[in-house]
Amino acid sequence: MSIMKLLSIAARAKVVTRRYPFEPPVVTEGFRGKIEVDPKLCWGCGVCTRICPPNALTLKKREDGTLVLSYFMGRCIFCGMCAEVCPRGAITVTKEFELASLTAEDLVRNVKHDVVRCRICGRVIGPAVEMREATKSVGGAEAKYYDLCPECRKLVVARGIMTKVGVRP
Amino acid sequence: MSGDSSKLLAKALTRLKRSIWVFHLNTGSCNGCDIEVLDALTPYFDVERFGIKLVGSPRHADVFLMTGPVTRETLPKVLRAIESMPRPRLILALGSCACGGGIWWDTYSTIGGYGKLKEILEKRGVVVDRVAYVPGCPVRPEAIIYGVLVLLGAVKQKVKHEEVKAGG
Repeated sequence: MSIMKLLSIAARAKVVTRRYPFEPPVVTEGFRGKIEVDPKLCWGCGVCTRICPPNALTLKKREDGTLVLSYFMGRCIFCGMCAEVCPRGAITVTKEFELASLTAEDLVRNVKHDVVRCRICGRVIGPAVEMREATKSVGGAEAKYYDLCPECRKLVVARGIMTKVGVRP
Repeated sequence: MSGDSSKLLAKALTRLKRSIWVFHLNTGSCNGCDIEVLDALTPYFDVERFGIKLVGSPRHADVFLMTGPVTRETLPKVLRAIESMPRPRLILALGSCACGGGIWWDTYSTIGGYGKLKEILEKRGVVVDRVAYVPGCPVRPEAIIYGVLVLLGAVKQKVKHEEVKAGG
């Protein structure tokens, strides 16, 4: 290509370079950036951790008995499936993409959940917020069983029936 | 390393602000991030206005740009390339795969990103002066530019480790 031809093309096209660090980036309507977990809405049910293709969202049990929903941005592929399946709508997809960091720890966001333990055997049943909200719809006679683990609940119910029938357990 | 040369190295790190030369190595990525690197070099983003330039040999490079989760097949080549780089040695882990393994974080044929590579490098006694992780799948050209700026210390990083308590 001759230089004259090149110059004529350049004159027509003008300057196309975006002055990015000195001007706001062009972010389109459908762009998906990092996700944001709202700790006020999150129940800790863990549906997002099951749908997450690269396991960027994980639900970990800690030594002190708390459940931690951990989001590791470094592994996230920004598919937005977690936001789609979240039953509480706690996860939102933001347009934030300037996520570069010097350490891997800075890419981790944790949401800490307290847990409910079984009244009898002390086993962990589930996250406290989920248990509290879920038992709101449960009333009457069933309300006294909700702080029991499935095994203990079976035992208690069976014992109740047996005493009612008159068989000694 | 003696005290004098480490002082020189620290000086070199502070002086390294612009016109960095980058050696790009695909360590088993899907080519998505590589296309975005290409995009960053086109007139639209034109990283050469910062003096950033791709070079063909790691011996000429300031920054080692890796895309991909480091497959077992590429691991010896990656180690050779990093070991042949002069100090100060900077690494830019580009994309979700290089940062944390991405979608291939636990497959048998990859080692799972820079986290594991770091352990291997430490075991071999290879010193890496600074690393920047740039998440994205693939990373935007703007994010690459931002990542380089974070790596060179020109801008402060935005993300921070957070731990919040749930409660509704």
